[in-house]
Amino acid sequence: MNVVVVGGGIAGLSTAAALRAGGFDGDLTLVDAGEFPYDRPPLSKEFLAGTKDLKQIALQPQQWYDEQRVRLINQSTVTALRGGSVELADGLRLRADRVVLATGGGAARPPIPGADSPRVHVLRTVDDADRLRAALTPGARVLVVGAGLIGAEVASTAAGLGCEVVLADPVARPLAAALGDELAAWLHGLHARRGIVTVPAGAAAFAEAGGGIEARFSSGFEPPRVFDVVVLGVGMVPETALAAASGLKVARGVLVDDRQVTSNPAVLAVGDAARTRRGSEHWEAARHDGARAAATILGTRPPAPTAPWFWTDRHGRHVEVVGHMEAAARVVVRGSFDAPAFSVFGLRDGLVVAAVAVDDPNAVRAARRMIDRRVPADPGLLADPSVNLRALLRG
Amino acid sequence: MSNGIRVAALDDIPEGEGIAIDKAITGTADDIALLRDTDGSVWALDDTCTHEDASLADGWVEDGYVECPLHSSRFCLKNGEVQGLPATRDTCPHRVEVRDGQVYLFPNQAP
Repeated sequence: MNVVVVGGGIAGLSTAAALRAGGFDGDLTLVDAGEFPYDRPPLSKEFLAGTKDLKQIALQPQQWYDEQRVRLINQSTVTALRGGSVELADGLRLRADRVVLATGGGAARPPIPGADSPRVHVLRTVDDADRLRAALTPGARVLVVGAGLIGAEVASTAAGLGCEVVLADPVARPLAAALGDELAAWLHGLHARRGIVTVPAGAAAFAEAGGGIEARFSSGFEPPRVFDVVVLGVGMVPETALAAASGLKVARGVLVDDRQVTSNPAVLAVGDAARTRRGSEHWEAARHDGARAAATILGTRPPAPTAPWFWTDRHGRHVEVVGHMEAAARVVVRGSFDAPAFSVFGLRDGLVVAAVAVDDPNAVRAARRMIDRRVPADPGLLADPSVNLRALLRG
Repeated sequence: MSNGIRVAALDDIPEGEGIAIDKAITGTADDIALLRDTDGSVWALDDTCTHEDASLADGWVEDGYVECPLHSSRFCLKNGEVQGLPATRDTCPHRVEVRDGQVYLFPNQAP
C-alpha cells in the first residue's frame, strides 16, 4: 500500500510516525512546503525571541526519515488528488492508495481597512516569524491585536525583546471558556504587570502615518495610536482548497468522521485542516488525529481518547490546561494566585472535568488521570496543597 | 567506584516521583534524575529533558515511564528511550542498585 501525507506539521508528521509505529510496511511519503517539518509552538516564543533557530525546532532530525523510511518531499505541495494518485506542483505524480490531508491552516486575516500594509504581520510559519522578529527591535511600538494564545505569547516575547507593546482585544477576559473567569482575568492581568498596555477594543482600521501605521480601535473611547508594527493574532482558517477542489465535503474544515475519514473513503484528514470538535485546534489534538488516522489505515484499534491538553507560556509562567473548564459547575483553587505555583480544578457531579495549572505541572498530570479514570473528587482535599495528588489518584 | 555512589535513602524518593542528584556528585555531564516507579523500583536517567530545559526529576513517574513536566514527552525508565514528541532524542540511563534501603548510583554504566 502507498500512503501520501500532505503537510508536515505536527498532525502530518504524527500520522507518519504512528503508521510506522503500528507496523505499516508500505511506501510512505510526506509532502511539505517547508525545508523540513518543524514544530510551531516555538514560533511565538523561543524562535521569535531568537533563542532557538530553525534546526532546533525540527520535528525530527534528518536521520529519522531514513530510519523510518519516510520519503520527505520538501518545498513542494500537492496540487490535485486523482483516483489512486496525487499530483505535485512540479507535475510529478505519486501513487497513493490512501491520502492523508494535513494541510493545516492559515492565520486569519480579517478584512480590516489598511491591513494589507507590510507593517501588519500574522504568525503561522517560520517565514512569518523571521519577518516579525526583524521588526521587533528594542523600542519598536508594537500593536498586537487579539489576546488569545498566539497574541498573548507574541506580546510577551515582544516585551522581552524591549518593544513597547499594546495588546488589544475587545474581550475583557480572553480564554475565559478554557481557563475559567478568575484565572483568565489573572492571566490577562500579567500583561499590565509586565508594562504592556491592554486596550479593551478590536482594531477597526489602519492607515500609513509618517514613519508608522496608525491604528483606529473599535471602541470610540480609545484614541488612535501610531505603531511601527502590528501583529494580528485573531484566529486560524483551515486550509481546505485542495480538499474542496477534490470534491471533498468541506464546511470550515474538511469534514471527517470519528476515524478521520473524509467524504472520500480513500482520503483522511487530520489536524487543523480537519473539522472536529471545538477547542481541538491544539498541538496534542493534532497528534491524536494522526494516531487515529494511522489506526484507521492499519485497521487497528484507535488509541483511547484522553482529556484534551494544551499549554501556553507567557511572562515566564508556564500554564497548562486539561479537560473542559466550560463544563465545570464549580472551581476549586489549590494554593493561591500569588504563589509561585498553583492550580485550579473544575468539578461537576463529583468528578474533575478540567484543571489549569500555573507552574504546577504535576497538578495537571494528576488531573488528567482523574478525568480519564473518573476518580471521585473531594473538593476539600483538592484545595489543600499539602495533600499529595498522587495519593488521591490511588484512592 | 565499584560499589557505586550512595546518593539517597530509598525512603527519600516517594513512589511516582523523583529527585535530582547534582552532577558535582555524580561526575556526569548532566544532573541525574533518580526516579521511583509506581512498583517501587528505582531508575536513573540524565535529568534534563532532551527537548527543553526541564528536570525529569520533577516529572510524573508511572508504569515504567517518566513524563516531562513541561511538554509531556515520555521516556522509558529502563533504557531512556523517548516515546513521543516533542522530544526526539533518547536520554541516557544509568545503573542503580538498592542495598539495605540505600540507593547506589553507577554513573555512565548501563543499567
